[in-house]
Amino acid sequence: MSQTLAPDAAAAAADAAPIVSVTGLGHVYPSREGPVHALADISLEVGQGKFVVIVGPSGCGKSSLLMMLAGLRHQSEGAILCDGRPMSDPDPDRVGVVFQEANLFPWLTAIENVAFPLALRKVPRAERQARAAAMLELVGLADARGRYPHELSGGMKQRVSIARGLVQNPKVLLMDEPFAALDEQTRMAMGEELLRIWSETGKTVVFVTHSLTEAVYLADEVLVMSARPGRIIDRVAVPLPRPRTYAMMASPVFGALRERIWQQIRASAR
Amino acid sequence: MSPRAIRWTIIAGVLVLWEVLPRAGLVPVLFLPPLTTTLSVAVTEWRSYGAALAVTLSQVMVALLFAVGGGILVGAIVGGVARMRQVLLPVFSSLYAVPLVVLYPVFTAWFGIGSEAKIAFASVYGFFPTMLSTAAGIQTIDPNLMLTARSMGATPVQRLFRVILPAAIPTVLAGLRLGGALVIIGVVVAEMLISSAGIGYLITSSRTVLNSPHVFAGVLLVLLIAIGFDLAMRLLEKRCAAWSGAGRARPGASDVRPAEA
Ligand SMILES: Nc1ncnc2c1ncn2[C@@H]1O[C@H](COP(=O)(O)OP(=O)(O)OP(=O)(O)O)[C@@H](O)[C@H]1O
Ligand SMILES: [Mg+2]
Repeated sequence: MSQTLAPDAAAAAADAAPIVSVTGLGHVYPSREGPVHALADISLEVGQGKFVVIVGPSGCGKSSLLMMLAGLRHQSEGAILCDGRPMSDPDPDRVGVVFQEANLFPWLTAIENVAFPLALRKVPRAERQARAAAMLELVGLADARGRYPHELSGGMKQRVSIARGLVQNPKVLLMDEPFAALDEQTRMAMGEELLRIWSETGKTVVFVTHSLTEAVYLADEVLVMSARPGRIIDRVAVPLPRPRTYAMMASPVFGALRERIWQQIRASAR
Repeated sequence: MSPRAIRWTIIAGVLVLWEVLPRAGLVPVLFLPPLTTTLSVAVTEWRSYGAALAVTLSQVMVALLFAVGGGILVGAIVGGVARMRQVLLPVFSSLYAVPLVVLYPVFTAWFGIGSEAKIAFASVYGFFPTMLSTAAGIQTIDPNLMLTARSMGATPVQRLFRVILPAAIPTVLAGLRLGGALVIIGVVVAEMLISSAGIGYLITSSRTVLNSPHVFAGVLLVLLIAIGFDLAMRLLEKRCAAWSGAGRARPGASDVRPAEA
């Protein structure tokens, strides 16, 4: 199956207003063996409703960058604007986070876990239940609402985690290798699922992964980072049409994009 | 036979032997009075035994409150604050190893031989395991859970009540079980050593006049208290059974489903 550029998609990317914008961001960790220069001179913009994937060698600062975008850690220099305001503290109205581990609270059932961010905001019980139930429905887990995390499979846990990240209706969803702990099949299915959720909710997603196939399959744009100190060395627009299909993975366009990203990472890691 | 059936068979067997061995003359009645004799003492003298039971139980309750309340509070602080942990935990751990019974005479010198000394002693006795267990529980809470809560905008107070405390419950329960048992031991032993009332006191005073049935009636009552405490703990543990055991930092285990019994 041959793939062609979708010109209107590319045009849409250009005129969408950025919801996240990072300028001149750098970060240095103090450590016992001296300062660790983790990130340097990162500038990026993420358009409203876009699916942006960040890849790069291990230890290049992807997680650190996401933590800063989430307001969970303060950068040494540079500025982060989300929805026009700085991210100085976590703000679940603007940014939801999904981590590599599902990090569900083991003493809460699936639906209670999803409702947890709403409970923190003192949303009335009935509304909390309704919204959490709707989110579970969205991730295809309506039947598992009463189950505890240890009664769920890895993939189900990660779905609950995604539902929990979305329940506050944040403008941006940050995902740090959310499927890395899953097996290949579950991972593929989850990617497809995530794209469906993304297109249904219209959220902006910033997604970190080690899998280049996953990156190209999911992304509107792939940001490639160099080894430490992490910089953005390439921005690869993925012109494949939506909805994406598994068959596209076999297309020459897909292969060429993957190859280009791989070469960049390899060169930077040397 | 199911484990449950085996358990009850063993218990029934012990009770039967308790009755039969002394009656058959295989064990001197002075060492072990028959079960029925012991029970009849407990029944005919229910007034003095009831009073003693009330004294012991009330002191166990009060000491439990001090030991467990104090243990959980101090344990939460010591486990939660890194600096406290480094300074205090080694000290507390060493103190735990001291056989506190040797200090009981000192307690009576301070508090007299009434209930205050017993309560103080049993409280201290039960405090350490509860405290150490709570500290350990809080210390091993998965830091990722805290990070997740923070990413949802949880305030420090919300993190304490909605993450730290729930996550610590299984360890706190384990500490409560151990601390509670020690509180019961502490009160009874204190009563046996130096005191003026309670079941332990009854046991000792009966023993000095070689009144075996009275001694064993007292022992039965102590057993009853222990069983009652165990049942109460089971009830409490059952309420948390749905998830207990999870929620601690288990390296790389978050995707492994625990083998459920
Ligand atoms: N709290 C910290 N203190 C000191 N150094 C840190 C800290 N957190 C991360 N680092 C260092 O910063 C660098 C970037 O770490 P980070 O976790 O952001 O990388 P990453 O790109 O997410 O890696 P991976 O792909 O393996 O997840 C690493 O070299 C790491 O050792
Ligand atoms: Mg990382």
